[in-house]
Amino acid sequence: MDQLYLLATLAGTRIAVETGEVEAVVRLTEVSPVPGMGAHIAGLSALRSRVLTIVDVAALIRGQATPVEQRGLAIIANISGHSYGLMVDGVSDICRVPDGALPLRGQLDPAWAPYARALVEHEGHPWLLVSLAAFIEGGALAQAA
Amino acid sequence: MDELLQEFISETQETLEALAGEVVAWEADPSDRDRLDAIFRFFHTVKGSCGFLNLPRFERLSHAAEDVLSDIRAGNRRPDPATVSAVLGIMDRIGELTEAVAIGAALPSENDDFLIGALSARGEEPEQVVEVAPVAMARSGGAQSGPRTIRLPLSLIDQLMNGVSDMVLARNELSRKLRERSADPELDNVFERLSTCVADMRDVISKTRMQRVDRLFAAIPRMVRDLGRDLGKRIDLSLEGGDVEMDREMVEMVVDPLTHIVRNSIDHGIETPEKRRAAGKPEVGRLRLEARQSGNQIVIAIADDGAGIDTARLVDKAIAAGRLTPDAAARMSEQDKLDLIFHAGLSTASKVTAISGRGVGMDVVRANVERIGGVIALDNQPGQGLCITLRVPLTLTIIPGLIVRAGGQHFAIPRAAVVEILHDNNETLHISEVGGAKIATIRAVRHSMVDLEDVLGMEKPAQQGPRAIMVVRSATGVPFAMGVSTVDNHEELVIRPASPLVMATGVYAGMTLPDNGKPMLLLDAAGLANAARLPNIIDDRAARQQEEAAVAQTGVEMVAALRFEELSGERRLLKLSLIERVEDIDAGLFGRSGGRAFVRLDGRLVPVANGLSQFDRGKVSALRLRDDRREACYPVAAVLDIVQMPAVPDMVAMHGMLSGVAVIEGEHLEVINPFALFAALPEEAMVERVRGRCLLADSNDGWTREILAPLLRQAGHEVLLGLPGDSLVDPEDVVLCTEADAMQAAEIMGCRVVHLRASPRPAGPQDGSIYRYDQDALMAAIAGRRG
Repeated sequence: MDQLYLLATLAGTRIAVETGEVEAVVRLTEVSPVPGMGAHIAGLSALRSRVLTIVDVAALIRGQATPVEQRGLAIIANISGHSYGLMVDGVSDICRVPDGALPLRGQLDPAWAPYARALVEHEGHPWLLVSLAAFIEGGALAQAA
Repeated sequence: MDELLQEFISETQETLEALAGEVVAWEADPSDRDRLDAIFRFFHTVKGSCGFLNLPRFERLSHAAEDVLSDIRAGNRRPDPATVSAVLGIMDRIGELTEAVAIGAALPSENDDFLIGALSARGEEPEQVVEVAPVAMARSGGAQSGPRTIRLPLSLIDQLMNGVSDMVLARNELSRKLRERSADPELDNVFERLSTCVADMRDVISKTRMQRVDRLFAAIPRMVRDLGRDLGKRIDLSLEGGDVEMDREMVEMVVDPLTHIVRNSIDHGIETPEKRRAAGKPEVGRLRLEARQSGNQIVIAIADDGAGIDTARLVDKAIAAGRLTPDAAARMSEQDKLDLIFHAGLSTASKVTAISGRGVGMDVVRANVERIGGVIALDNQPGQGLCITLRVPLTLTIIPGLIVRAGGQHFAIPRAAVVEILHDNNETLHISEVGGAKIATIRAVRHSMVDLEDVLGMEKPAQQGPRAIMVVRSATGVPFAMGVSTVDNHEELVIRPASPLVMATGVYAGMTLPDNGKPMLLLDAAGLANAARLPNIIDDRAARQQEEAAVAQTGVEMVAALRFEELSGERRLLKLSLIERVEDIDAGLFGRSGGRAFVRLDGRLVPVANGLSQFDRGKVSALRLRDDRREACYPVAAVLDIVQMPAVPDMVAMHGMLSGVAVIEGEHLEVINPFALFAALPEEAMVERVRGRCLLADSNDGWTREILAPLLRQAGHEVLLGLPGDSLVDPEDVVLCTEADAMQAAEIMGCRVVHLRASPRPAGPQDGSIYRYDQDALMAAIAGRRG
């Protein structure tokens, strides 16, 4: 149960991601837009010789694209063989949470429901445990189709 | 232990694949000891390893097969077809078992005893009724033993490839940085060397992904044999070009279409022996597979000598399926009819068979081939056979592409998808808009037109200069016109798959990372046509043909004519068939003598049809006209375009240079009367009679005939091969020769001689000859010696 989590803020919400899912966190530089796509696809970005598909997760949840000047960090993840960068507002910590994942409590905003799996308690605050793969497979692909 | 097992599995699978062909070849020629030995060795190895790995079922099967084969080796038994089938059956079972072990599934528990029993049945059963169809195999170019190899996981190679790509990017950045600093030749040299190493390395790494086409062919002999037996057909299979190499992924993509085509060909193409005899063909049908490399494409041809495709039946089926109206069918060309085979749900097979009639038709084959950037072509000879040609790119990953700009962003599009590129101010292009639909008419052919920005929902920034219009042929549909800001350049692009998120839009086929490090998307032509909801094939074609038919019905015969602007400013038409070509001629070449205008072209004088010889510009566009005998030149201000004009002008004037007036697109245009035009030319040919003929003495010499004679003709000389009788020699004539004795003969005839030699240097101070490739000296000699 002693699991490492990446703690971040996304669309103004505290989230936690299992570090197993995370490959790296990078600062976004240049993103080439992909025309013809919904707001949740920010574009493509090159990370050395790899090309990342940058997903604006906040847009996926709030339905509004993050302005270019507010784009900061992205979590790099490899999901079913493709590299993605998931934009987040900020990253605060990577830490071990002794209690591990706790069951969800309270009424969750429907926008978050497809992605949230559990809660993680850290320094007295609850963090929403989300799955990166769910953002891609559950949310983004469904919207793209 | 696991490692050993893994090794065993992959080795067995690989050998099985390679052996399938060998067994079939062995059946055709049972005396082939080498092949028998190879098969025997396989079973022996399997038996040995699985005893050790504790795989009892493998052991029993291979042991039984080994026994039978060793009997055959000892000459105690003949390899009859039943035995071969039984051996193949055992090989299949071993294959299944291996598969099961590999994925850790429970071993399929069919009864192995049956297979082993079949082996020992020793041909006692009566000879089969269906005549057995041995597949004779000729495999050319397939080596028996390959070079030394090792096995590597694919992921390692991919990793290596990524590493090299990173290296290339780093090199590019370094090169940029170096250029910004002061030039240091020493540093440049070192960098150059590094560059070459990196490039070489990239080449080699991409070669590791290559595989011999042999692997593609490996399963074919077995399949042909089995199908032939099932259907009672006799087939002579030949495989060629197995040593051609193509990308590993490509091989995998082509296997299915190829298998399908071969199945089709055996099932529907090649007839039964009785039918073939009746048709006067040899009983054994021929099937030929051939692979070769052509540029950066692999061409795979599958040819049979069967019945070919019955297009009439295809058309009937299409009409019955309501996809085609009978009158549209009547207007279709043979090629159009043949193309129907690629439409979903149409097949000439009258009934569904187990072999190829499983609802997967040629439409799927074509879609699969085109998805990987390939092309499929049919060459149908009804009653004589069918040849299907697949052309696929050498690798999936590198394709020639065009970089286009639209909405301020760059995109790539496969070069193969682009038919032509025009600027929108081109005279042959006319864009009109009706009901929101844009139509681009290019040389009288109407195309649906879309702007890339509109399809992708981008802003169309205002731009200076013309936009580029590309005629794009999508994989499945008719060509359409697509407008973009500009077409920037042409590059070999390394294409990688885009994430499913991006692919879901349907308009992108992949992405590429150019040297500038900014990712670029590869457009999918068919996807764009879909996204823009452009009309599909049959409707469009039928509509076009209907229109053409309607024009024909009104009874006006149309001819192609060139619309041009006279130097005096009028716009006129001239029948296109009279115009040999259009070229820009130096104004200085025009001249006037004896009241007639002429122009000097290729050393000849050509009359100028409209009598002009003074121009206000350096270069003049001129139409080169020709009737059956004479030629003329017609200088114009500008060539506009080619239009269809009625053969009889709308208003007829039977005199003068004009035959009448035609109305084209609402514009009144005068039509030049070709009769009057040629009649007005001076009758006598405008030849400068001062010059004599060039007599080529060595008329049998290849150099003289093929190189010298054309050169002289081009320079305007009259050329005669060989020396004519004495009476015909004119003192003006010049004799050219290379042999000394011909020179004397020519001197006797009393005309001037130019002596040519083959070596650049003269033989001695007395040598008056001219080096035969010294054009200036040669021309001067001909002109100078003419007194």
